[in-house]
Amino acid sequence: MTLSVSGLSAVRSGRTILFPTSLEIEPGARIGLVGASGSGKSTLGHALIDTLRAQGSCVAHVPQSPDEALDPLRRMAFHWREAETALGLPHDADRQQALFRALKIETGDLRKRPWGWSRGMQQRFVIAMALIGAPNLLVMDEPTSALDPIVAARTMVLLEDYLAARDTALVLITHDLGLAAGRVTRLLVMNAGRIIEDRPTSELLAAPRTTQAASLCAHRNWLALPC
Amino acid sequence: MLRLSDVNVKFGKTPVLRDVSMTLPAGQTLAVVGESGAGKSTLIATILGLTKLDKGLITWANVPIKACRPSLVMQEPRAAFNPVLSLRRSILEPLSAKREVISETRLGQLCDRLELPLEMLDRKPREVSIGQAQRAGILRALIAGSPLILFDEPLSALDAVTQKHTAQLIADLQTELGFAALIVTHDLGYAAAFSDDIAVLREGRIEELTPTPAFVQNPQSDYGQELRAAAFALGALEYVA
Repeated sequence: MTLSVSGLSAVRSGRTILFPTSLEIEPGARIGLVGASGSGKSTLGHALIDTLRAQGSCVAHVPQSPDEALDPLRRMAFHWREAETALGLPHDADRQQALFRALKIETGDLRKRPWGWSRGMQQRFVIAMALIGAPNLLVMDEPTSALDPIVAARTMVLLEDYLAARDTALVLITHDLGLAAGRVTRLLVMNAGRIIEDRPTSELLAAPRTTQAASLCAHRNWLALPC
Repeated sequence: MLRLSDVNVKFGKTPVLRDVSMTLPAGQTLAVVGESGAGKSTLIATILGLTKLDKGLITWANVPIKACRPSLVMQEPRAAFNPVLSLRRSILEPLSAKREVISETRLGQLCDRLELPLEMLDRKPREVSIGQAQRAGILRALIAGSPLILFDEPLSALDAVTQKHTAQLIADLQTELGFAALIVTHDLGYAAAFSDDIAVLREGRIEELTPTPAFVQNPQSDYGQELRAAAFALGALEYVA
């Protein structure tokens, strides 16, 4: 089922930070939401999650850092049960094991607290929690920026393998077009609270129409900078 | 030239840097890459003299490093400044500590090079953008006039376009002023584009120290190969036709 929102907007301290925005997301879509810091990417991501959830869709969110999702004083098992309860689901050991296997965290000790796990395993645990309810849409906000590159690359590969077999759509929020370019088929470029380009990835990379998109494209590759 | 000879550091009984030896010639850039906990930040603290050496020697131009007074650019630009002081006061602190002054003309020239309006220095850290705060941090490091500047993840708080712009500014200033730069980063793309040599640090040891073009083509160590593959997978590096 295509997810659809219209007229999303946000105002903070009297200032519009997201202008009315409409969006359609096909099942299994791979969308990159890119732009500079402060362009409104995360605001749109949050507005999208809230609105779609209010419509009854199952939408999951993976924050930038596992610290935002995990209480340092609670055991990992608590977090898992809490996520299941929030979704109104009974505990299902098979589902848990399947997700842990897919994200290669089956060796993690659920009796430990977050700091007893490595950062990479914490973030993969958070991703696994996000997938408990088999969401229609997964919104990931800079999901690798808190991770070391090797762990980040492995995590993205594991997630992509998992999503490839399902109709779960993915919105990847990032300031890094290099990260998004190889992973998404559609790019939304944001600037000052507006989507200023919404095009297939290959087309946008080949011929950006706006200054902001052109700048992101030009600064995509460290080894071919326009300077 | 910065020279580390057989440097060992322990926290309690735990070795954090093990037999680290490396050189960084004046005016050149050495990037130190590795995962969290590899010892990158300890390496910087040790060169700054903030961590006691267990064994080994660190020199600049063949005299102990203390005489060189290296400068530091920190990872979190706003947190690097005293929040209640103006940027100007924090920036000039290295000079006031030495009872030295800088002319407004020279300060203005450096601000121009860093694309910082001079009047912005009268603001507090929270009143400027992160990118501007990081450029102010670079200005503070330059003002001290040290021949060696240490950069601890200088771009990680910035967005992709600002990262690359700031990296180019640092490189241009380095060409102009001739300081040596030791850059600790987890971003192999940055290291590949802006360093002369890349040192891979893992569990406190140097796994390899390779000229950057050779590293980008084919790292010598297995771990270097893994880092390179991850950088390509994450889009930090791309094959350039």
